[in-house]
Amino acid sequence: MFAHIFNYRLKCLLRDKSTIFWTIAFPLILATFFRLAFSNLGSQEVFKVIDIAVVYDLQYQEDQYFRLALDEASTGDSRLFNITVATAEDAQKLLDENLIKGYITVDTQIKLVVKESGLSQNIIKSFIDNYLQTVAAASTILRNNPSNQQEVIKSLADRENYIKEVSGTDAEPKTMLNYFYSLIAMACFYGGFFGMRETTDIQANISTLAARINVAPVHKLKAFLYSLCAALLIHSIEMLALLGFMHYVLKIDFGYRAGFVVLTTIIGSIAGVLMGALISATVKKSEGLKVAAILTISMLGSFLTGMMFQDMKYIVAQNVPVLSYINPINLLTDALYSLYYYDNLSRYFLNMAFLSVFTILATFGTYLILRRRKYASL
Amino acid sequence: MVIKVKNLVKRYGELIALDHLSFSVREGEIFGLLGPNGSGKTTAINCILSLLKFDKGEIEIFDKPMTPEAYDIKRNIGIVMQNVAVYNELSVYENIDYFCGLYVKDKNLRKELVDEAIEFVDLDDYRKFYPKKLSGGLLRRLNIACGIAHKPELIILDEPTVAVDPQSRNKILEGIKELNRKGATIIYTSHYMEEVEQICSRIMIIDKGRAIATGTKEELKAMITLGEKITVESYDVSEEHLKKLRNLPNIVSVEYKGHLLEIRSSKGKNNLENVLEFIKKENIQFGKIYSELPTLNDVFLEITGKELRD
Repeated sequence: MFAHIFNYRLKCLLRDKSTIFWTIAFPLILATFFRLAFSNLGSQEVFKVIDIAVVYDLQYQEDQYFRLALDEASTGDSRLFNITVATAEDAQKLLDENLIKGYITVDTQIKLVVKESGLSQNIIKSFIDNYLQTVAAASTILRNNPSNQQEVIKSLADRENYIKEVSGTDAEPKTMLNYFYSLIAMACFYGGFFGMRETTDIQANISTLAARINVAPVHKLKAFLYSLCAALLIHSIEMLALLGFMHYVLKIDFGYRAGFVVLTTIIGSIAGVLMGALISATVKKSEGLKVAAILTISMLGSFLTGMMFQDMKYIVAQNVPVLSYINPINLLTDALYSLYYYDNLSRYFLNMAFLSVFTILATFGTYLILRRRKYASL
Repeated sequence: MVIKVKNLVKRYGELIALDHLSFSVREGEIFGLLGPNGSGKTTAINCILSLLKFDKGEIEIFDKPMTPEAYDIKRNIGIVMQNVAVYNELSVYENIDYFCGLYVKDKNLRKELVDEAIEFVDLDDYRKFYPKKLSGGLLRRLNIACGIAHKPELIILDEPTVAVDPQSRNKILEGIKELNRKGATIIYTSHYMEEVEQICSRIMIIDKGRAIATGTKEELKAMITLGEKITVESYDVSEEHLKKLRNLPNIVSVEYKGHLLEIRSSKGKNNLENVLEFIKKENIQFGKIYSELPTLNDVFLEITGKELRD
């Protein structure tokens, strides 16, 4: 009986164009678009030295500390600025011609002149704010204790960084990968469409076809399980195809743990199909509403994972951390990123543990609903 | 008995869908469940098939209590649902093979049965067609083939001819009689009295979840006072004529609507003859005149006070 139901179910699902589109064609198209859209994202992360100008006037010549600070910020390989010293007119002209991002005037107060707002302009402003704060702090100390003048000046000059960066990995951090990993996670949870079909076709109070199956001499839950196996097989293969497409065609880096990546994707696929089964079994309304529920949950989960807006993942982690642990799409995305980035697998296993608990709960919930033998109404 | 239903009660909240419904189906008969839409026919079938919970009552099929896990009973039942229940992604052949395979494990036997079923419903030219490409009538025939391919002893057909063209309907009805001739016991539900009258050996009329009459069509018609309905097409009937007609022997009612004079008489001899004599005597000009025996609709009308298709 298993082979009979399984084989016919494979045929049914493979010929269901709508489900096949959403579960494999759509993610493939989206991945291609992502690749086209984000191909320059990595290069944008490299810092470019900012071109600025300083107005050469009497105040600038007299403010030796500011000159010193500017010298420090514009020398060496890790410099912030390329500085042009110019008259006010020339500086304005350079700005108008977009040759500099802004220019600084040292009047009674240090001022920044910019044409537009942006990251470079923010960096120049932060530099000035930082300098002014330091000067204000030093002035306060000297006013209260004038004898320490030499020590204060020395301490200002000898800035020490107390934070040491220790990398936990050999992998290079790539924020772009989060988009692709969350896309894989979303595609896994689009497997919910398969799960939805399975529960719709076995609940006699939902469809006539299901009622017809229920009157056949086949154990209902066994029939469901056999059909589910077909759905899981198709969706797992789809997800592996997506993975292969991303890796070999789009050249997305998945790190060096290929086996774990494949396993994670398959577990994600199972979780997605079962989530769809649970949603479909829970939502006792039309098929359209069930589809809407699966789409909404998948898209919302993907959004909170940062698929549309990358910072969202960190906003959620900072403000509502619990959401990161109950959002299965985030768990899957983070598991894939952990495999790529961290040498240590503890974070990966934590994600997978949460995802497994989620999958077990979805399975149990679906079972509780489907085990009903008779219905109050059809 | 193939089926025994005793005091079946099914409520949907305040609404009583089945009200102490009792009946039995004998081996080898075509048992008709006749009633208007919403009378409880499909609810009764769903209870019999253990799809629906019911509040009270007993159901036995093949002398065993029917339960959702009674697979030995289910193996011998064929069901044709009111709504077509087939997979749109499977061809005609595949659909029949799939449903037959839920009952028959042997592949060779199954192939034979599927071929027979296809031939039986005359879908040989459509073997590779997908359901969406079939007309309403062909789709209904596919639905029937999926229900009967495994050659069950008991076949339940729930309104199998709804929205079917007359040609397909006749094929379906002939097919049902053929299945019965081959030994299957059949339960046939419909709100089309002509169909039930045409094929059923015994009929239960059901209304508001209650069995209001059970018997052969002759027995049912014998239950009512109406013996004959005489219709005269004429533009020449006066109020005086109607009064006189009402005084003729055995006449129950006389109605004149438009150009149709409808005379209902109770059982008795020479009713048509008496009317013809009256028309001749009064020199009433007429086009056509015809007499009809009572139908199941008349039975339903007399017992419930409403038309079967209300």
